Amino acid sequence: MKRRNIQTILRNTAILFALMLGSISCDDLLDVEPRTGVDANTVLTTPDAVQAAINSAYARLRAQSNYGRDLLAVSDALADIGFATNNSGRLIQEARNQIYSHFTHWQNSYFAINEININLKAVTENTLSPAATQAQLDKWNSELKFLRALYYHDLVRAYAYDPGTTGPVASQDRGGVPLMLEAITTSAAATAAQAPRASVAAIYAQIYQDLNDAIAIAPTTGGPFFATRASAQALLSRVALYNREYSLVVTQSTNAIASAGALISGAAYVNGFRATTNPESIFEVKFQDSNESLGVNVSMQSSFTSSLSLSALTSTGGWGDFAPGTPLKTQLGVSGTTVGQITTGADIRGQLYIVGPGRGSGAKIENVKFISKNGIPYLDNVPVIRKTEMYLNRAEAYATPGSTVFDEALALADLNTVRAARGLGAVALTGAALYEEILLQRRLEFAFEGHRWFDLKRLGRDVIKVGLFAGAADLAFTDSRVLANIPQREIDGNPNLVQNFGY
Amino acid sequence: MKKILLLSIFSVFMLVTSAWAQERTVTGRVTSTDDGSALPGVNVVVKGTTQGTITDTDGAYRISVPAGSTALSFSFVGFVAQDVQIGSRVVVDIQLATDVTQLSEVVVTGYASIDKRQISGAISSVKGSTIENLPLQSFDRALQGRAAGVLVQSNNGIPGGGVSIRIRGTGSISAGNTPLYIVDGVQINSTDNANFTQSNPLAFLNPNDIASMEVLKDAASAAIYGAQAANGVVIITTKKGKAGKPVINFSAYTGVSEPIKLLDVLDSQEWYGLRREARLNSGSSSFDATQLALNDMGRRPANFATLTEAELLAIADGLPTYDWQKETFSTGKVSNYEVSFSGGDDKNKYYISTSYNRQDAIIKPVNFERGTIKMDLTNTLSPKLKLVTSLNLSTFKQDIPFAVSGSFLGSPAFSSSAVLPHNAIYNEDGSYNTSIAGVLNQNVIQVLNQNTGYQRTNQAVGNMTFTYDIMKGLNFRSLWGLDYRIVQGESYRDPRTPDGAAVRGRNSQQSNWNVNFISAQTFNYNKTFNTVHNVSAVAGFEYRSETNEQLTAASTGFPTFQFRTLSSGAVDEAVDGFWTGYHRYGIFAQANYDYNKKYAGTVTIRRDGSSRFGTENRYGLFTSISGAWILKEENFLKDVDFVTDLKVRASYGETGNDAIGNFPAVALYTGGAAANYNGTPGIRPAGIANLSLGWETNQTVNFGVDFGLFNNRITSAVDIYRRTSKDLLLQQPTPWLSGYDNYFANVGSLVNQGVEVELNGVVVDAAGFNWKVNFNFAYNENYVSELFGGLEELPGNTSVRVGHSLGTYFVNKYAGVNPATGRPMWDDINGNPVYAPTAADRYLLGNSLPEFYGGLTNTFSYKGFALDLFFNYEYGRITPDAQVGFLRENGTRLTLNALQETHDERWTTPGQITNIPRPVVGGAEVRGVGVNTGDVNFWKADFIRLKQITLSYNFPASLINRAGLTNARAYVQGINLWTYSDYLGYDPEFVDVNNGSGLLPQSKNYTVGIQLGF
Repeated sequence: MKRRNIQTILRNTAILFALMLGSISCDDLLDVEPRTGVDANTVLTTPDAVQAAINSAYARLRAQSNYGRDLLAVSDALADIGFATNNSGRLIQEARNQIYSHFTHWQNSYFAINEININLKAVTENTLSPAATQAQLDKWNSELKFLRALYYHDLVRAYAYDPGTTGPVASQDRGGVPLMLEAITTSAAATAAQAPRASVAAIYAQIYQDLNDAIAIAPTTGGPFFATRASAQALLSRVALYNREYSLVVTQSTNAIASAGALISGAAYVNGFRATTNPESIFEVKFQDSNESLGVNVSMQSSFTSSLSLSALTSTGGWGDFAPGTPLKTQLGVSGTTVGQITTGADIRGQLYIVGPGRGSGAKIENVKFISKNGIPYLDNVPVIRKTEMYLNRAEAYATPGSTVFDEALALADLNTVRAARGLGAVALTGAALYEEILLQRRLEFAFEGHRWFDLKRLGRDVIKVGLFAGAADLAFTDSRVLANIPQREIDGNPNLVQNFGY
Repeated sequence: MKKILLLSIFSVFMLVTSAWAQERTVTGRVTSTDDGSALPGVNVVVKGTTQGTITDTDGAYRISVPAGSTALSFSFVGFVAQDVQIGSRVVVDIQLATDVTQLSEVVVTGYASIDKRQISGAISSVKGSTIENLPLQSFDRALQGRAAGVLVQSNNGIPGGGVSIRIRGTGSISAGNTPLYIVDGVQINSTDNANFTQSNPLAFLNPNDIASMEVLKDAASAAIYGAQAANGVVIITTKKGKAGKPVINFSAYTGVSEPIKLLDVLDSQEWYGLRREARLNSGSSSFDATQLALNDMGRRPANFATLTEAELLAIADGLPTYDWQKETFSTGKVSNYEVSFSGGDDKNKYYISTSYNRQDAIIKPVNFERGTIKMDLTNTLSPKLKLVTSLNLSTFKQDIPFAVSGSFLGSPAFSSSAVLPHNAIYNEDGSYNTSIAGVLNQNVIQVLNQNTGYQRTNQAVGNMTFTYDIMKGLNFRSLWGLDYRIVQGESYRDPRTPDGAAVRGRNSQQSNWNVNFISAQTFNYNKTFNTVHNVSAVAGFEYRSETNEQLTAASTGFPTFQFRTLSSGAVDEAVDGFWTGYHRYGIFAQANYDYNKKYAGTVTIRRDGSSRFGTENRYGLFTSISGAWILKEENFLKDVDFVTDLKVRASYGETGNDAIGNFPAVALYTGGAAANYNGTPGIRPAGIANLSLGWETNQTVNFGVDFGLFNNRITSAVDIYRRTSKDLLLQQPTPWLSGYDNYFANVGSLVNQGVEVELNGVVVDAAGFNWKVNFNFAYNENYVSELFGGLEELPGNTSVRVGHSLGTYFVNKYAGVNPATGRPMWDDINGNPVYAPTAADRYLLGNSLPEFYGGLTNTFSYKGFALDLFFNYEYGRITPDAQVGFLRENGTRLTLNALQETHDERWTTPGQITNIPRPVVGGAEVRGVGVNTGDVNFWKADFIRLKQITLSYNFPASLINRAGLTNARAYVQGINLWTYSDYLGYDPEFVDVNNGSGLLPQSKNYTVGIQLGF
């Protein structure tokens, strides 16, 4: 080959290669649009998107760590309600108050709170297209603030001491939980989210503000799966009770009762726990379809009963990991050994128990408040606030010694209203006896709904566990295991965050 | 590799036949002095002329010799050239001897091939013949122990299941650690998309179709693949046709698979005694303990309160014991049949093969069944234009296990050792006993027989490559490749089984499509200047795009168990799907230079772009340089006879890692079941953006020495390396307060450094008896050198700590049993024993990465007989074993069976020194923690395993030629026959996300086989 030819070829090759280099520096080759997701920067610009984003904040209540299981089942296991059956091994550490076996809703709750903050920002900026109506904006605003209040209250009551209880535990009080109110949407802001724990008072102030905002603008209808004015009032009643602001408990309980209607009693009450939606509910978390079931291992149903369903009570279904203890059964007047049946006394709440087929540990009395009521295995809606609570909140506010609205007659009236609705005769009590009876009714009413632990805790009481199972030991209020441990990763990654005492 | 050389010789050789007066024809046959085998492709030239030919596949040649010519020159790469005087002969048969000093092999190094002697990086080669006929479904498994520095670990014993491969350690925390696999130029997607079992994507290829595997270990060698090469590159070259008369090879083997080991668990009386003791220790009265323990076994009579303790104990004494493991594990079949056809002429060559492979796992119905067709065509379209077409079509179907791993009640692999032993398997009428007492209340034999399901992978991997010779020494190569796959599956939970009963049966379906397209356009240049300056270069462009789509659906509510298809279900349960994809392209150039075969060097540069990264940082630049000095060529060594070969190598290079999800750099909102509420759609943030997200870079420095001694009777390669991974693609944790768990950022760095040794020797070579040893060893040290924000530990992940290996276990330290009380104790931070340790008391136990590992092959041969013994070994890895964890609780927490060993060693009397605490119901003492807390259930996974033993016989040519055969070989083979390990669980080899519970164990296999060539 001639030299010139070689040069030509080399030159042409070089040109070709250079062209190749040049042509590919365009970014077109690298453009791949994701299809299963939409850019976060542009997504919240329509009313439909905002609505869908708010749905997610509700949906997070369904998580196992929140109302999917733990705020009910772990809560009751920690308290003096019953014993772990050891059928699947779940809830046994919680029932024994083993260190580190506690609530874990920190992550899911803060994730929900940030979504709420982002949505609140979008609703406040209100640059949607098509434009949202004022009714829509008010509804969203009130829902988001209700949800934020609920998440914060569930956090602060699990991870911190309640107002007015810190006397005996002053040396181990580490404050409330971090207060996050800004929308975080960038990696820089996320990395910098190293907030310290706010004071308990600051958290309660924020919850008050959110709920008052919600009450002002919330729709009066649309419950119980979505927040309404009644649900905000009811939650404020509960929060005020924790905060020992008894006059507010009375006003908000009264308001909620007015908004939500009368107490359900008799067979209607029991049937309410057999229906998809409990007519008692002021706010209830909806579990829609099989995709939302937490399944045979950790659903509410499986946690509490081994029965398959209402129509097949004798068939084995779930685990039945946590069962009522002897004291509770005695107080309710339930007994029995025949699978699928129960002997009850006057208290109609006894009908919410049944002898389950058991599993491994044999047949025993189990709670059946959750038993595939939604028609799909292991799928039950979860009541968060029921009307009865309003009566009992108000009764307690009237009956608490030192209350600014102390009035034993009014307390007794509310108490007897509840007792009557549950098939029990009226009582005439005063003083400590009255107060204790109100607390006992709370215990019986909300057994297997997760109230008891928080009631004992907000009152600074010890948890009496001896008698619930072999080898049980009581848990003093001063014991560090009363508070949940903040996830270790949060402590490791946030120098401003202080772990709870004893962990 | 010789085959490839042959091909290139064939393709460039032009037969010159000119008519000469008075010429004569000489014929003959060229064979090897080694084994007398025919040598095809030997260059035969009439000395002093340009007239020549090459030998055919039988080593035969025919050449016209002009008048006046007296000698023939025979030359062949790798053999000592010979000149032979013709004299008056017309038949000249000769034998060529192996040229040990020139024993060169061409090694595929990506977009080029290079003479092994010129290699300056770190590359391990495994020949197809060494992994031939192993009953393994995917070639990655066959690499185990064969290449120094390549760690191969099984995930489980599912045939065609997952394999974890790490080349030179684990280099990434959050991004992938899997090497890049390239089959005949096509970069393969090695992600397993199967939902119902593990379907190793590399199982598409019949390992017997492989000619060679090259592992590019250091960054300098792999840099040509830039952003995908951080974890090393495995290049697979499949068999190609050779010119010559058609060759037909038939091969078959068949055999059985059997369990390696069963666990020693308790009989019914031992278990009852243990449980009763636990009840007593938990505070029950003697009578209560007696009746409650019976109740725990579901054998307490209704009138128990009226019975005496002795009567109750008599019930326990009468309980039978059933061996569930024996019933669960069974003997499976193994078989493989294949035939290949190859041949061609100097212009067109073909290799076509087809195969059928089947292997049963040792738990029914799990199996693997594959059919393949492979076609390789080489066509010389014009003197300048060549077309190579390669196509692998493959389908494999696997019957699925109940679960790949995990502690599922219905999982035979999990439950068979743990179900309470007094439960009968069958009722007296032969039906399944479905009334199973204890926490494991499913009859797993029923479950494995009644559930059905399969996973099918249909895959086509092929490419078409044009090579155009632009001028001498310069060609243009254009590759177009496709790796197309559909993974499809069905799982049916029978309504007769407990998991199906609740929903009256469930049929789940999956279809997953993966389209992986690759194109590469390269220029190759080769030139020798002044006979001593050898230059070769490659420059090119590569583009790869991949999309993955999936559709899943399920239905429940089946009329009866006979109705099993999706359409028969009354309730449509779940319909879901996704789409994902990425694009990547790179431009690259590589230049090799050697001076007189004495000094060699390579420089590589590559620029890559990937759609996976932030818009601000999509491109990465990767460079490398390497050099080798072949000392043997120097005058001072030329005459040192015992040194046959000596070379030193050094390299430095950079490679990248982009093995993360396809859209981690952008912030997306996604919908789906988790966000929906009250039957209306929900959306939520799926992450946060990081627009500056870019490559994870690996920098590797490598020093190596290759030497051969005593006429290459001993050869060895030793490498030391330091691999630094920086700008790690780390899922940087953010405080959960922020609303996010983490985002991908380029932070932190880690180091892998180590030594690799390959040593080959002929121990005995006398009187026809030959004993060869191949040994390889790799030592790797891994440590995290930096995280972010000055952190010493990754928040939320105690296994990642600065100064320590990845996979470090930071746990509470077990202090044994308190001899006085029988309660388990752990050390607190001051080393004092406590019953309930806290997070602050944890210590560094060790880590999940082996310190050293490798393999040893002994080959003994004598007159056609050969015995291969292949061992592989691993040392220094620590692992938890969840299966053992359940079984060593001594039936205290759950009503599960227990290991004989932990039963026998439990604390029973005050003063007793032991490691196993007294049993208490609930598994944890009051105000104590669970018995498996901390380092109790961590085990050393050290082992030496006789992976393969093969005894074979090559029938002598004299015998088989009469039958029309060119070769015949018969063999018997055993796999996993012997293991040295004190591991308590099923298998020390496994790595698994669920820490080993419910894994289907590996099997040992016995096969007999035959290979015939026509």
